[in-house]
Amino acid sequence: MTEELDRHVRLHLYDSFLAAGQPPTAAETAEALAIPPNEAEEAYRRLEQGRVIVLAPGTTNVWMANPLSAVPTRFRAVTVDGRSWWGNCVWDGLGILAMVGSDGTVDTSCPDCGAKIELRVEGGDLQPVNAVIHFAVPAARWWENIGFT
Amino acid sequence: MLAFRSEEHVDRWREQNCLAKGALFVPEQLWRLAQAWYSNRLDPDWRRKTPDEIEALFAGIGLTGDFWRLRPAAA
Repeated sequence: MTEELDRHVRLHLYDSFLAAGQPPTAAETAEALAIPPNEAEEAYRRLEQGRVIVLAPGTTNVWMANPLSAVPTRFRAVTVDGRSWWGNCVWDGLGILAMVGSDGTVDTSCPDCGAKIELRVEGGDLQPVNAVIHFAVPAARWWENIGFT
Repeated sequence: MLAFRSEEHVDRWREQNCLAKGALFVPEQLWRLAQAWYSNRLDPDWRRKTPDEIEALFAGIGLTGDFWRLRPAAA
């Protein structure tokens, strides 16, 4: 029962986030799914415990619904038809294009020199780009601080 | 995870921020990782991958070694 509710909440959360550019509040999700607000809040917390989403500390406000970020970041994914969202990292920026199944670009910049870096996906393939990817934190430790990997 | 102009830029940034060297790889590997990780995220029956599935996914795109291991290596 709880598992089914969490599935509906997860699907609504992502659909709404993609459509509106911002994640729905628990109250908005409750209204959309015709469930009590506390049930939506509890579902949000369970989704966080299951590492599906990340909530802003001490709240039920969605910070990350990976690959999507609710706050502006260095990583902007833009589809060929002009839709755009923030990613949590460069992996998530490309992850957004993969998730929505669209060509497009991820606009970011080099943390060292500030030069713009554009990762372009065309025909489902990443186009050659003068860049390297650096992952600072070993995989086993990602969730110690998911805001910094 | 960040994109840099080159390894030289990574090293300069790390030194300025007192960070150890992590893992470096090419953008094409990142695109393959992003596709493998996120292409089914909107599926109704999506679930988190198991550690075994994740390590197999990493290995499939050439991301191997201790950095990409989720659990300590067996003794």
